[in-house]
Amino acid sequence: MPALLVTLFVVAVQLTVLSALRVDGVVIMLVWLWPLAMGLTGFTSLALVTALVAGVFFDTHTTTPFGLTAAVALVLAYGASRLGREGVGDLDSAAWYVTPILAGVGGLVAPLLYTAGGAFALNFNLWRGSVLAMMIVNATAFMVLARPVTRLARAVSHAGERVRR
Amino acid sequence: MATDRSKRRAWTLGVVAAAILTVLALTGGVLTGLRSSANLIVTPFNWTVNEIARPIGHVFAGALNYSDVVAQNQKLRYQLGQAELKANENWPLERQLQELSTELNVPYVGGLPMVAAQVTTVSPTNFAATVDISKGRDDGVLVGMPVVANGGLIGSVIATTPRGATVRLISDVNSAVGVTFGDGKSSLVVTGRGVNNGLVATSVPLSTAITPGTKLATNGLEGALYPPGLPVAKVEKVSLTPGAATYNLTLRPTADLRHLLYLDVVLWEPPA
Repeated sequence: MPALLVTLFVVAVQLTVLSALRVDGVVIMLVWLWPLAMGLTGFTSLALVTALVAGVFFDTHTTTPFGLTAAVALVLAYGASRLGREGVGDLDSAAWYVTPILAGVGGLVAPLLYTAGGAFALNFNLWRGSVLAMMIVNATAFMVLARPVTRLARAVSHAGERVRR
Repeated sequence: MATDRSKRRAWTLGVVAAAILTVLALTGGVLTGLRSSANLIVTPFNWTVNEIARPIGHVFAGALNYSDVVAQNQKLRYQLGQAELKANENWPLERQLQELSTELNVPYVGGLPMVAAQVTTVSPTNFAATVDISKGRDDGVLVGMPVVANGGLIGSVIATTPRGATVRLISDVNSAVGVTFGDGKSSLVVTGRGVNNGLVATSVPLSTAITPGTKLATNGLEGALYPPGLPVAKVEKVSLTPGAATYNLTLRPTADLRHLLYLDVVLWEPPA
């Protein structure tokens, strides 16, 4: 429940604040960073649910192929949770730069995944936008935001666990 | 026992989900239903975030941009005065043009009815250049109608609801507009390159005499998606690859697509 509420707030921040605050015309995709951060905490199922909710709610507000943002978020969440379960990217035990680097890689890969996913949805025009700018801006933003967002994700995951018990 | 309970719970959830999907499908499409349900759920969160973020944004914007805003306001007042003056000077010419166009059976956009609307939402994603507007089917807005603002074509309506519509901007990667220039004998196709990235026209034959600064307007050919004469873009750069038989054009949209607040939907339907 706490994870769901925070996820809805994340979607709201994405829609109302970040869509207006464009960097070089690019929107920073918090709806992708959030599931990735949840994944790094190691709670796979929670990360996947978060990815699905964030992605679907975001997708209902856009005209791009439905489910594509959710699919990319699911891939990021799953990949990050595999690393999270191994303790890679853990805020306490790993080196301080590991989490930002992992998030940066996520930010770099996500627009590419989205563009490639567009082909499956028979939309072959997505690559014509400035994918490179999206990759660079999102990777940089994800690196900067990685630690605070992962800290929040860890607090939310633990709160969720407590509620479940 | 626990397994039975979870099985029962899964079945109940499945049946409820199926029932909801059936109702949504019967009452106007699953996706439309999903969109409105998601909107309904996210709206209170959006409102809360907006209420928190807006004053903070205003404080920063006010502190950093006050003198710019005052200067901009003065400039706009001056421009408004100039525009009013020009409109008063031009009305006899406009009337003449309208009469000539009617005689030639060309739909002149100045004579077409329009519906003014306000931009309610700008697309929140990097991959679609769209805006949502405040007028919909109830006001006569239909899919395919062209939309103009800030002195030029900005896009066309791609979806409608009774009280709103979605407009795909000409900068969207899925947008293509047939245009012409000069004497109107040559036609090109202008495509979008994504949000804030301008427009392009590729594979332009070398025989086409076009230079930077040339203004392009919709060609209105038979079966075109837009009426003729709507200003679309201005040529910014002509690129020629050595050895190629065609060149590419980098274009700047006539209308400022970044600052859309109010726009007009031209009540003109493309031919079926």
